[in-house]
Amino acid sequence: MGTISSAFSLISGALNADQAALSITANNVANANTPGYTQEVPNWQQNDPLTINGVSYGNGVTETGAKSLRDSVLEERLDQQQQLASASSARLTALDGVQALFTPDSGSSSSEAGDIGNDITSFFSSFSQLEAQPTDNALRQGVLSSATTLAGDVSNAADSLNTQRAGLDQEAAGVTSQVNSLTSAISQLNLQIQSTSPNADAGTLEDQRDEDVSQLSQLIGINQITTENNGLSITTTSGQLLVSEGSNFQLTTGAVGGVTDFFLGGSDITSQLAGGGGQLGGYLTARDEDIPNALASLDQLAYNISTNVNTLNNSGTDLDGNSGSVANPLYIFNQPTTVAGSAANMSVIMTDPNQIAAAGAGAGTGDNSNATAIATLASTSSAGLNNQTPTDYYSSFVSKLGATVSGVQAENTAENASVTQLQTQNNALSSVNLNDEASALSTLQTSYQAASQVFSMLNTIMAAALNLGDQTAVS
Amino acid sequence: MRVDPSYVSNLVGSLDQAQSNEQQLTAELSSGVSITSLSQNPVASGENVLLLNQIQQDDSFTQSSNLVTGQLQVADSTLGSVVSELTSAISLATSANNGTMNSSDVQSVSNQISGILDEVQSLANTSYQGQFLFGGGQTSTTPFTTSTATSPAVTTYNGDDDINYLGTPNGQKIQLNVPGSQIFLGAGSNSVFAALNSLVADYSSGTVNTAQAVSDTEALGTAMNYVSQQRVTIDNSITQVTTASEAVTSDEAQSTTAQSNLMQADVAQVSTQLSLAETQQTALEDVIAQLNSTSNSLFSKLPA
Repeated sequence: MGTISSAFSLISGALNADQAALSITANNVANANTPGYTQEVPNWQQNDPLTINGVSYGNGVTETGAKSLRDSVLEERLDQQQQLASASSARLTALDGVQALFTPDSGSSSSEAGDIGNDITSFFSSFSQLEAQPTDNALRQGVLSSATTLAGDVSNAADSLNTQRAGLDQEAAGVTSQVNSLTSAISQLNLQIQSTSPNADAGTLEDQRDEDVSQLSQLIGINQITTENNGLSITTTSGQLLVSEGSNFQLTTGAVGGVTDFFLGGSDITSQLAGGGGQLGGYLTARDEDIPNALASLDQLAYNISTNVNTLNNSGTDLDGNSGSVANPLYIFNQPTTVAGSAANMSVIMTDPNQIAAAGAGAGTGDNSNATAIATLASTSSAGLNNQTPTDYYSSFVSKLGATVSGVQAENTAENASVTQLQTQNNALSSVNLNDEASALSTLQTSYQAASQVFSMLNTIMAAALNLGDQTAVS
Repeated sequence: MRVDPSYVSNLVGSLDQAQSNEQQLTAELSSGVSITSLSQNPVASGENVLLLNQIQQDDSFTQSSNLVTGQLQVADSTLGSVVSELTSAISLATSANNGTMNSSDVQSVSNQISGILDEVQSLANTSYQGQFLFGGGQTSTTPFTTSTATSPAVTTYNGDDDINYLGTPNGQKIQLNVPGSQIFLGAGSNSVFAALNSLVADYSSGTVNTAQAVSDTEALGTAMNYVSQQRVTIDNSITQVTTASEAVTSDEAQSTTAQSNLMQADVAQVSTQLSLAETQQTALEDVIAQLNSTSNSLFSKLPA
């Protein structure tokens, strides 16, 4: 049989439970804007019933702590998508810088400075004009000045690409320390979680670990492996271990071939990281793939134009009747020795316009056959340029670059949309909804008031029982 | 069903997107250019390079054709003068050979023809902008010099047989010069200078070897016709340059139109898009303002 005092204890348990629940709600409201915080709900538990003389009586409620509303599968998917989105976003930023060097010329009355396509045409056109009057000094000056513009724009573009590459290299190296501090924080949290909550959700500790993993996902591509006792191991996308429960492995950097390479436990994992995702993956893809590709195309173009024009000019006859010799070659451009670096080193070394060999070998200085031959290079396909003319080659270069950028843009948009979608799903579950809290607060308030009311009525009943009907002695 | 309580921040993302869209459209309107980066339209960007190349080549050929037209016209009119000089030489030679002239008259004809010879030689040494027109590739060496050490005197050619061509954007080659040797020192009886020098020698003594003089006069006639034939080459080149430059001008106009269509912004379309984007932005701002106002939270309904 239940007694008045058991009712007392039961209702004070309810008051305690309500207070605990109120404190959980207060904590939710307080952390409404804390990154990584997962909404907590009180864990109500009905006390075991009391059976007296075969009759069972309810025994009140206990609040056994807060439970985080978490879906780890959803969170892991969000992290993975975040890695892809960060990679394409970092790569896109780099590519935007690259394509800004090759802004399409609008073709308005004044040609835009720095347009290599126009420069190529101007250069070869200056030789076509020289055909008309091969001895004319103004036309010869025109050849040298258009050559200077071409060489200047090509080498500027190549220099800018190299600078951008060096910038990306630094940014990539800068990511390392952030990765290391996050992996070390995760391994510490692993230890704490394993010791405090090996079998259940670890609440705020787990919030912190998830937040660190989510930040790590923005930096590099990772795989998560849940281990026993609620631990977590993390590897790079290609499988190198970064965190193994309580221990973490530091990512180190070192200069290899003029760029920063990344090492884990002594092995160079740069190429794996490049394809792995995260900001670092994006930087490395741009650094080791996109920019080198653009540079290689420019190098090929510069090498081709420089060597072909130099060879022809060297074999012709200049205005003074001279032909080029080994000791005194008639080179217009700095003669490149290798394809690599041709663009950055492209410059005009000829200073005397008379040295332009408009006339063919052995012909009079009034001949224009060599000028014609050089002008014809503009419409000559060459093997070094994928069997294209210089202009066609440049045209397909800009198309290709544009297509790459636009492809990465589309990829990034899609990935961001998917991140937003997953984020929305995750927020719907895990983030603090103030309306919910207001409603919970209101409910708890009512139930606390009700319990208080019960308590005070029991008090009156108890007094009545103690006074045996006399209402004055105990109130 | 639970919802994402931070939907307002997603809306702010949309607002950012709308604003960047407006920025892009405004940039298109103010610059008049629809493609401001390669990634906006990679194919058009590549095409643009080719079209600009075509336009520039055409433009460059138009300038070249102006330069060569002047030169070709000077060559043509020079050969015209040569022909008229030769015509008068033939009539002089014929008149001196009809038996009615005395010896001093014949000698004076010889002097006159010698004068014509000098005139023709100076025409053959015509220069244009400091460059000899009929020296082949040797444009800085006087093409023709006459040595009077022998009789008849001998005119030698110091130039070469070099022919210059001007390439047109569509690959055609236009001949720019005819070497002096081909015009004035043709093989056999086609040599103008040989015929003139012989005639001067024929009449210089005052006594005429009729048969020789008749044959030399005929030779001069043949040589004159030969000069006229060479002149046709120059005339053809002038016609070719004119035709080519007309073709190039019309090609340039077409390329320019194509390039404009490719790159220029369609103002009406961009304005409409801009107006739509602005409406969207206003709507988003209103929604965000509504959602952010405190009365939308359940907390505001709770008793204080």
